[in-house]
Amino acid sequence: MTRGDTVLVCLVAAMALFALPLSGALAGAPAQDVAVLQGPAGVTRVPLDQDASYVVEGSSGEVVFKVRDGALRCVTSTCPDHVCVRSGLLRPGAPIVCAPNGVTATLEARAEGDLDAISR
Amino acid sequence: MRSHADSQTTSLALTAVLVAVAVCLGYAEAVLLPTMPVAGVRIGLANIAVVMALAFLGSGRALLVSVVRVVLVAAITGTLGGPAFVFALSGAVAAWLAMCAVARAGHLFSVIGWSVAGSAAHVSAQLLVASFFVGSAVPLLMLPASLGLALATGLVTGHLSRLLLSRIPSPSLSAA
Repeated sequence: MTRGDTVLVCLVAAMALFALPLSGALAGAPAQDVAVLQGPAGVTRVPLDQDASYVVEGSSGEVVFKVRDGALRCVTSTCPDHVCVRSGLLRPGAPIVCAPNGVTATLEARAEGDLDAISR
Repeated sequence: MRSHADSQTTSLALTAVLVAVAVCLGYAEAVLLPTMPVAGVRIGLANIAVVMALAFLGSGRALLVSVVRVVLVAAITGTLGGPAFVFALSGAVAAWLAMCAVARAGHLFSVIGWSVAGSAAHVSAQLLVASFFVGSAVPLLMLPASLGLALATGLVTGHLSRLLLSRIPSPSLSAA
């Protein structure tokens, strides 16, 4: 490795680290009890305290999400790589994205004046 | 001394070989190795062939190898024309741009630097295009993790490229 390589590696590592708080700010402080499913047709708010299945109509087929034990995951999808299915459980800072279908799942950002935000 | 036509033939043949290698690596990776659960990051073995093309044949041929590879792998895996193909193509072009920029700096960077720059540009462009496609900034939330993974995969393919370059004699295309 040349010195330039080392600098470049450090630069990419720094970019990844700097992007970390940036993506946190973008997501907002997430509420842990409501997920937001967004598809081409619109947005669905999903309570995480009841087990259920949700079908989101994507741009090239259906994406199926399942809530179980307070956590949401993508179960099946019509996309080629199934990155969404392999993403596992929805966690803060780690959205589930099915880009080929134009579908995303995030934890809902907590509103500013929320009781939980004050009591935290 | 070989003629101009001779070296053109060599260059064409080498381009074709590198396209074939890139398609094989790309297809093998698509079928055998599952994409990582973060933003569809792959190791990017096919990029080794693109790095070879950039080292031996220059930037134009490297772009040709990369783009033809993306089209052929998409045709084989049945994703041609779909969103996944658009993501792959945008990543490939962004990686090529980044690698050309770094390669232009001469001996400041080795092929390891090329690869790291390429893979970082690849995931960034893919997430950006995915954000446009999804219509929200949600995919960009994965940027830190993707860049971290891209750094690792770039180092792996970069080291493999360097290993290969040290074993393969550079084909002299102009005169021999």
